[in-house]
Amino acid sequence: MKSFFRMSYPYLVWIALFIVAPMIMILLYATTRSSNGVITFSFTLDNFARFFSDPTFLKVLWTSLRIALITTVFCILIGYPAALFIANLPEKRQTFMILLLTLPMWINMLLKTYAWRGILMNFDLESEVKVFIGMVYDFLPYMIIQIHTAIAKLDRNLLIASYDLGANRWKTFLKVTLPLSVPGIISGITLVFLPAVSSFVIPKLLGGGNYVLIGNLIETYFLVAGDWNFGSAISLIMALIIIASMYLTKKLDRSTVEEG
Amino acid sequence: MRKLIEFRNIVKSFDGQVVLKGVNLNIYENEFVTLLGPSGCGKTTLLRILGGFLEQDEGTVIFDGQCIDKVPAYKREINTVFQRYALFPHLNVYENIAFGLRIKKMGNDIIAQKVNRMLSLVNLTGYEKRNVTKLSGGQQQRVAIARALVNEPNVLLLDEPLGALDLKLRKEMQRELKRIQQEVGITFIFVTHDQEEALTMSDKIVVMNAGEIEQIGTPLEIYNEPANAYVARFIGESNIVDGVMLDDYKVRFDDKNFECVDFGFRKEEPVDVLIRPEDLAVVKPKDGVLRGEVKNVIFKGVHYELMVETKTGTKKTVQMHVVTQHDLTNAQAGEKISANDFYVDSDDLENKEMTDQDFISIANAQAWDEEDRDISLTRVSHNIEKRPGIYTITFGTEKGTEVTVNVHVIHPEYVEDARHNIGISALDFFITPDEIRDSMAISTDLKTWASAEAWNLQDDSPVEITDVRFDFDPADVKEGSYDITFATRGRVYKVETTARLEVGDRVGLDFGPEDIHVMHKEVTDV
Repeated sequence: MKSFFRMSYPYLVWIALFIVAPMIMILLYATTRSSNGVITFSFTLDNFARFFSDPTFLKVLWTSLRIALITTVFCILIGYPAALFIANLPEKRQTFMILLLTLPMWINMLLKTYAWRGILMNFDLESEVKVFIGMVYDFLPYMIIQIHTAIAKLDRNLLIASYDLGANRWKTFLKVTLPLSVPGIISGITLVFLPAVSSFVIPKLLGGGNYVLIGNLIETYFLVAGDWNFGSAISLIMALIIIASMYLTKKLDRSTVEEG
Repeated sequence: MRKLIEFRNIVKSFDGQVVLKGVNLNIYENEFVTLLGPSGCGKTTLLRILGGFLEQDEGTVIFDGQCIDKVPAYKREINTVFQRYALFPHLNVYENIAFGLRIKKMGNDIIAQKVNRMLSLVNLTGYEKRNVTKLSGGQQQRVAIARALVNEPNVLLLDEPLGALDLKLRKEMQRELKRIQQEVGITFIFVTHDQEEALTMSDKIVVMNAGEIEQIGTPLEIYNEPANAYVARFIGESNIVDGVMLDDYKVRFDDKNFECVDFGFRKEEPVDVLIRPEDLAVVKPKDGVLRGEVKNVIFKGVHYELMVETKTGTKKTVQMHVVTQHDLTNAQAGEKISANDFYVDSDDLENKEMTDQDFISIANAQAWDEEDRDISLTRVSHNIEKRPGIYTITFGTEKGTEVTVNVHVIHPEYVEDARHNIGISALDFFITPDEIRDSMAISTDLKTWASAEAWNLQDDSPVEITDVRFDFDPADVKEGSYDITFATRGRVYKVETTARLEVGDRVGLDFGPEDIHVMHKEVTDV
């Protein structure tokens, strides 16, 4: 046992170096102010106050949440029927379809987004619509796979039992298949909504230069403006929102299972 | 009673495999009908066709005077209790039971009333809010029954519902199910492979085999007057012997003529004769209609189950030559070697390629060094021919340690028993006292050493040698020759008795004309 534990040391070092340390640094940056490039460790909450007092920033936050939410809703609306369709195919075809779905995930996200930019250039669409198309395209496979897994492991006898008790196909779907696939939808949401809130490449490339999301904001403050303190503060706010929403979805998940 | 369901010539096949071969069956109102048969006999398929989950290839199902072939499952007034219950894991006990009523959009107060009545029918009052996945098997079973019955179906289908329960719970649920059926007064169609379950609960049993109905009758009829050997074997314990019907009320079996109560057979018709183990009385040998020897005793709790052999099987006796082996020592190489003389069947030399390895194992040839490590025998030379005679074979190691033994090529006589249609053969053999002493399973080893085999004369299929007789003590065997007799199973009767007997006791078996049941031979399609 002990020797096995020792094998995890490099991993622990890795975590400490590249996850814990940066987190602490972000926390440190966010709660201090800079002066001429030299960090003076004077505690302040100014960075947070600045974010929440400026309507521009709040609007960016709101837009990010809105886009992530709409992306997620579209992923569910498109993904659920797709997952249902795949789950009803013969087993071998299912595996093939899942393979087809995961295939685009092997291509670099940046590349795919550039491709979309090329395609969408020919259409006269609002930049927000273009962002949605790009985002839904990118995140849809995660949603489909999660929901498909939930539907595929559903006991077929439950459906037969439902028919037996007088429910037709549609009612069986509403009363049995759908409620029992909720855990799949929830984990699909976790996999789509959270990355969508913080994504910045897709909005930047497809939304045109003036289309700012929270991810872009962070990027700008870190790389362009060089204001690491404020950038860290925004990152921290994002992180808190993500943790809060993860907690909420977990809770929702549990309550649907326990509803019994 | 009114006819409720009628299956007319139902045929169904899966992937070219015919599962139902034209089944005709009537089921009446308020009956407890059991479809009984081994797995794969088509009983569950028939049930699923009635439930509407499968469509038959041919034939018609009439329900309450109406053809229901085109009625989808959800519109049939039939409900099912599934093998693994199939309860909805996202709903609690109450909502599981209410499922069908909610589909029918009944009012909440009516639903509450009906569900509560069901809960008390299946003794689950107070379990409304429980999570179904946390219930025991028996409780889940009750929920499944309540969920089906609450819809007030005309017929309840039960697909091996007790299969997953342990013995005690199963017995309890059997009584429970019978009570529920009598209380609600609807038709239950119950599918099982458990004959005891069928006997205890049913009004009518339908015995199925390979997609066909073998017999339909009350439990008593099925048990006492099975239509054929298949049904007799499937229901209860049975002795089935070949016999010939001499005349009405006269049957011949076990080389004796007996009176019986059966009639209506052709003269000299070959028949199967059934005698239930509990109808055979154990008496003194001179008082018995049949005499035999107790071969096996099993304690069953209330009674003992004896196997009594009234006629020995086909046998063959061979000689075992016990000789002490003298190891040959090659002091120069520091090796020792030994091997036995052996017998070989000339037919085996003719028909099989005998390899050096075969000879090494028959002769039990082995070599070892001073530290008792095995050394491989790399050289085998012999002058064996296929004609009977005595030849020699030499086994040797790399370092030149050698042993030479005699090989007796013989043409053994097979015993061919035309009456039982069995052939048996075995060879004389040489063996050392050590090998006998070291044997963990002496009967099995004797069979191996003597190459004892028995087979069916008609189709050459192997027949088990059940009896190995010898009169030496394996723990203390001396040099010399011993007779070993190998025999196949003779005519054996299973007997249930409360008398305590030992293996080897001579007993008589007594029975009367009414204990004999004569059946037509099954028409076996080859």
